[in-house]
This record gives sequence, C-alpha cells and structure tokens, in this order.
Amino acid sequence: MIAIGMEGSANKLGIGIMLHPKDGSPPQVLANIRHTYVSPPGEGFLPKDTARHHRSWVVKLVKQALKEAKVTVDDVDCICFTKGPGMGAPLQSVVIAARMLSLLWGKELVGVNHCVGHIEMGRLITGATNPVVLYVSGGNTQVIAYSSQRYRIFGETLDMAVGNCLDRFARTLHISNDPAPGYNIEQLAKQGKQLVDLPYVVKGMDCSFSGILAAIDGLAKQWGLGGEEKAREDEQKTADSTTAADESLESKPTRADLCFSLQETVFSMLVEITERAMAHVGSKQVLIVGGVGSNERLQEMMGIMARDRGGSVYATDERFCIDNGIMIAQAGMLAYGTGFRTPLSESTCTQRFRTDEVFVKWRD
Amino acid sequence: MEEFKPPPLPSPFNNTTPPPALLTQGAEAHLYKTISLNPSIPAALKVRPSKPYRHPILDRRLTRQRITSEARCLAKLIREGVSVPAVLALDWEGHGGTEGGWGGAWLMMEWIDGPVVRVVLEQWEAWMKQNQGSLDSSQIENEEARVRGLLRKMGSAIGVLHKAGVVHGDLTTSNLMLRPSAGASDAVDGTGSPSMEGDVVLIDFGLASQSNQDEDRAVDLYVLERAIGSTHPRSEPMFGELIMGYRDSYKGAVSALKRLEDVRMRGRKRSMLG
Amino acid sequence: MASSLETISLSHLPLMPVHVALYRNIQNAAFLKGQLLAGDTEFEYAFIDASMVLSRAHATAAVFRAVNDYMHNRLKSRNVHSEIVFSLNPTNNIAESFRRFGITDSTKDLLVVKVSVSPEITHESVAAHLESSVQGTPVLFDDQTLSEISDINKIKKAYKLGALPSPTAKENDEAKQRLENSLLSAIALRGS
Repeated sequence: MIAIGMEGSANKLGIGIMLHPKDGSPPQVLANIRHTYVSPPGEGFLPKDTARHHRSWVVKLVKQALKEAKVTVDDVDCICFTKGPGMGAPLQSVVIAARMLSLLWGKELVGVNHCVGHIEMGRLITGATNPVVLYVSGGNTQVIAYSSQRYRIFGETLDMAVGNCLDRFARTLHISNDPAPGYNIEQLAKQGKQLVDLPYVVKGMDCSFSGILAAIDGLAKQWGLGGEEKAREDEQKTADSTTAADESLESKPTRADLCFSLQETVFSMLVEITERAMAHVGSKQVLIVGGVGSNERLQEMMGIMARDRGGSVYATDERFCIDNGIMIAQAGMLAYGTGFRTPLSESTCTQRFRTDEVFVKWRD
Repeated sequence: MEEFKPPPLPSPFNNTTPPPALLTQGAEAHLYKTISLNPSIPAALKVRPSKPYRHPILDRRLTRQRITSEARCLAKLIREGVSVPAVLALDWEGHGGTEGGWGGAWLMMEWIDGPVVRVVLEQWEAWMKQNQGSLDSSQIENEEARVRGLLRKMGSAIGVLHKAGVVHGDLTTSNLMLRPSAGASDAVDGTGSPSMEGDVVLIDFGLASQSNQDEDRAVDLYVLERAIGSTHPRSEPMFGELIMGYRDSYKGAVSALKRLEDVRMRGRKRSMLG
Repeated sequence: MASSLETISLSHLPLMPVHVALYRNIQNAAFLKGQLLAGDTEFEYAFIDASMVLSRAHATAAVFRAVNDYMHNRLKSRNVHSEIVFSLNPTNNIAESFRRFGITDSTKDLLVVKVSVSPEITHESVAAHLESSVQGTPVLFDDQTLSEISDINKIKKAYKLGALPSPTAKENDEAKQRLENSLLSAIALRGS
C-alpha cells in the first residue's frame, strides 16, 4: 500500500509518500519533501501569506515527491491530509489540494490529526513502543500517553505553546526566522553563561509560558537588548563571541544570556511535566516530537532525566520532528488499514482538533 | 540496559537502622519508609534529590522552594486540623556546598496507613470488568454507590483543604489516600471488591500553595477531573459526585465551582494551532 | 533512686547519644543559670524550663534539629546545647529563645539535655556531674510526667497557636496530637 501525505497546518508545506509493504515488512519512506514559508525577522507568519505560499507550491511538491518516490499515480492507494489542528487558511489550501487530487485520480481520502501524525511517525522512526510523548511545537505543548485506544493528554500548556513563546522572543530580539526562529535561539543560547531569574510555572502536569515571555521581554527592554540594531551587532560579534565568556555573575545579561535562560527555564518545565507523566503511568520511554523537539539542549536534558529513571529518550531529527508530509501518510495509512475513510463530503479541516478525539483503532 | 540504582540516601539517613526502604520514585522525589524519632513509630521520608538535568542555580532554587513550601502548607493544614501527614523534620539546605555537595532536600512526615485512591479505583475497575457478567443490576448499582461514596469523601476532603486556604496544585488519585478507620476490619464486604471505608488523607503537597482564589481552586479540581478521566475511565462518569461532596464542604465552594466551568471551557478551547 | 538519667539513641543519629534528665522542684535554678552564663564548660547543657515542653516528641524534635544542624555545620548559636534551646523557638531570635525556653531563676521544673559530642561524655560522666550539681527531684522523662508540668497556655502563646483547642487529660486526645504536630512543624520550619 502506498499513501501520499499532505501537511500544511502551519508555515511548512510537506508532501510525503509512504509504502507499507504487503508482506508486513517495515514501512518505507519513498519521499519526504518540505518547503517552508519564512517571514522576515521581527515578524511572525500570517495565515493569509502562508496559505498563499502553500497554494503556489503544492502542485510542484506533489509532482516532485512522486518523481523522487519513483511511483506513478496508479500505485497510490490513498491521499492523507491534515484535518487539523492548525491555522485555518493554510489548512484549507492543503485540504483543497487533497480533494482536487482525490477527484482527479479517483483515490480515497484520509483525514489525519496532525498531533497523531507526529506521534505515529515518532514511534515508527524510533521504535519506541509505548512511550510518554512530549509534543512541542509552535502551536502545541502536550504530554501524551496512550491508554485504551486514545492518545490521552496528561498535561498541556495553559496558555501559549512553548514554540510560540520562543518564536515570539526571537521576534523581540529580531532574530532571523531562517531556517527557524527556535533554531537561531538555540544557537545563540549556546553562548549564554548566566542564568537570569524567570518565573517557573508548572501546575500538576500543565504549564504556562505567557508570564515567562512577558518577563523576558521585559528584561530585554530593561537592558536595551531588543530590536533590529542589537541583532546586527550580534552578527558582527559572532567572530569573537568568546569575549563575554568569563563575565562575573550579576553583570548585565547579554542577548545570549537571555536565550540561554529562557531555554533552561522552559525546558526544565517541559522535562518536569514529562517526568511527572512518566511516573504517573509507569513508563520509562519518552518520545519527543514536534519542531521544538529538534532542540538538542531539550533532548539532552530529557536524556538525563530518562537515564536517572532507568529509561531512555527517543527523538527524531528535523526531517521527521518538524512538520512534514510523511507523518500524515504514516498515521493516515494506519487508519486506512483499519478501514477508515474520509468521504469527500466530510473532507473538511478544523483549527481545533484535540489529540484525544481520535479513536486509535490500530493499537491494542 | 543498565540496572537502575536509586541515589544514595542523604545524611543523616545513611546511618539509620534499619535503612529506610525505598517505596516509590516519584517524578521528583523518592519516598522512603523509615522510623520517626520514636523508633517504634514509622515515618515517611521524602527526599528530593538534585535534578542534574536542570541548571544548578535553578535546581537549588526549585528544590528549596518546593520543600519549604510543601512543609509550610502542611504546617498550616495541621494547625487547621485538616487530614494531612504531620511534619516531623525538614532539611532544605543540603550540605557540602555546591561543588560535590548534596543539593537535595528532605522532609520527614507522619506515616499514613492505607492505599492510595488510585489503587482502590484501579482494583475496583479491574474487579468490575472481571465480574460484570455475574453481577445483577442491583449489585452493580451497589458497587457504583460505593464508588460514589468514595468520590464524595474525596470532594469533601478537597473542600476542607481549600477552606483552609491551601490549593494542592497536583491533585491526582495518587495523592489521595484512604486511611482505614481505627479498628476497621479488612474484609468489609467479603466480595473481593476493594474496601472504600476510611478517611481520605491528602498527601504530596510538593506543588501546593497558599491561595484563596477561585481560579486556583478550580484548576485544582480540573486537574483532578482530567487525571481521573485519563486513569479511571470507568469512574469518570461519577465525577459529579465528587463535585457534590465538594460543594457541601464549605461556603466558598459555589463560586469555585462556577469558575470550574470557565476553566473547563478554556481547557477545551486551548485545543491549539498546528 | 540512683539516677533518672536516660540515654537515648536518637533515630537516624546513632553516633550521637543524647542524655536527658527531668527534675521537679529545682532548688538551685539561679546557680545553674549562673554557671551557664559564666560559660563554665562543665555546665555546658541544654537547661530547658520543662513547663515549656509539651511532650517527649516535642523535646526530641528540638534535639534532633539541633544535632542534625550541628553535624552539618549549621549552628546558629554557640554550641549544640544552646542550639537545642534555640531549636525550641519558632523564630530566629536566639535571645528570645533563651528567655522563653531556657532556665530562669524561677524555674521549678527542669529538663536537662547533654549530647555526646565527644567520647568523654558518657552516661556515667553526665549522671555523676548532674547528681552533684542539680538540686531537685529526678522524675521520669515521659509524656505522663510532662503533662503534669507543661504550661499549655504559655506554650501556645510562644508558638502563636492561641486559636488551637487546648488538650484535655484524656488519652489519645486529638487536640493534644494537633498541638504537638503544630509544634513539631514549627521546629522543623524555623528559619525556612
């Protein structure tokens, strides 16, 4: 069986082609390509512009994926698309493309929950059988564990997503959005030395980031570290970035210090709620999915925590962590295999679609 | 895989005879059973080891904050006469300095006998699943009435807690214990379904804080509601009973419950963007 | 009665035996206090006004706190014995702790505590010294005796627990348990 997966719930447009061999041997990724809409520094991506990006690239990407996969339209069994959650306009542009292909080629549609896509792809790639899942991206922050045919949400953010918090601080600092704001924060944070005091908000297995963002934005303002000019200074300084290395504590924080402190604080919170969920369900595996999951510091911290619990952490690289089409194909095909179809009349998308709404028929 | 070894006990418990027995490795604390200052009375020892994944400054700050805030909340509740374990001794300072020293903290508490509610409900759900076929409707009704009674007691215990000005911050069925009444026999019904007699005792105040805000109280209830939904699907439909027990336990309950509606709505709405 | 000195091996602190004696009708309180103030090392004891002690658990909690702080080099006062008196106090004021819990000229009932911080301090050495220096009636250090001595209202006042119900003479009294637990947490939390 071969499925095309189409993802466009945020600023990445991804097309993937997945083969589930009939003989039951492991699934194969035949193609996994992605094109990202990058907004200028200091700005987020707007739904309208992102949708326009997806519309203008989707045909090109589908063609390219088929070519890379060396399959023809006839080989394809179904078309899987992201039903939600996500931003309305980008979701719509992709679902329309999926419908068009379905009608054009006479293939059945499978609507997929974006979060479930991340989880199933992570499980496939890492081989983690029944992990606690930390799903962290620009739009989501959830701690999930499987129980009785649902991916149940044990903890989540009470306000903004962690990725959104990082992205928005990147905007404050005018850090480039290319390839991703979070990635550039991570690089800058590596030069950070001193930890500034930030709120730390964990409630049970839930957490909150809005107060932290307000606090660190305030610090950036107080120390005059925000804005375009400072960003330019940063670029000039990268050559001799070690000069600030042995500053004494309580000195004026640098932009790097703020990125460092922000990461240390929010990642500690994420690791803490994940550990809480692991203790609660008695699991020793952690799987990190979503764009923020490609942050190496987060992976490192999670690894230390898991090791101390006698367990291990599973993470994927940016090909599978960051939004992509193949994960939609994978989750879609699992549902397709159990007989699930999305009739044309129901092939809508929705901005709100909770992970635990999906009936996971393909697992025991 | 490497065999997991629990971290060594902090001083002075490395000199304790018999050595404290590790019961659980919770998310951020190890719980041991040991002896109180009176060797014939057992005690619970909660050790918060330093978390090596965290930045050391953040780690010390959080460890210290959490253990003292936990002990302060317990102290307040003890004074108010709420059913929580007594504080017997405490150490939040660690020792030996930041380099190579011990950056953890510990809290010695009264030992509470009895199972956690989580185990009671799990046993009950398993038992129901097993015996479903052989129970008639009045027996099923009777069984469910017992669970409703337990949920009501839980609600009432949480109400008394909130009335005293403390919110728990991490209400799950693992943090509520069922202490058998003194002199109660184990075989309450003889059917093999677990006993639900006794007092509900609240434990693990590691994320508790002092608050009289409806919002905090409502979040407490919401966290528990979700925890029950995810761990005890069969008992979840009876959550309303817990709410009723809560409502009847103190005057401020009504407005906290009103707030719970908002918190629930927000919870569903924050179903996020991709 | 040879000696009422009890030597306790505190749970978790087996290497530091604690010697405790309780006296009633003390005749030479002023003398003992004087020796203490003079810094006479022979008289390095925790001299506690026993009317300020609710129960054995109350006293041992303070001893435990002081000895544990001593072992980890965290004493706030001069030595482990002054620290025991200080540990009874719910606040960080050392002078106040001596006024409230320490021996005074008018102390009638006295609790004496000595910790074996060095090998020379043994049950025998402490017993002999106390016998020659304390003029009073040795009694058993137990809850029964303490219940006849403790001044509940003064204790409640010192710990700002005036709102708590007062214990009655009943055994297994809930009010006494609640008061005792409140004292123990105050001792554990002092300075936090």
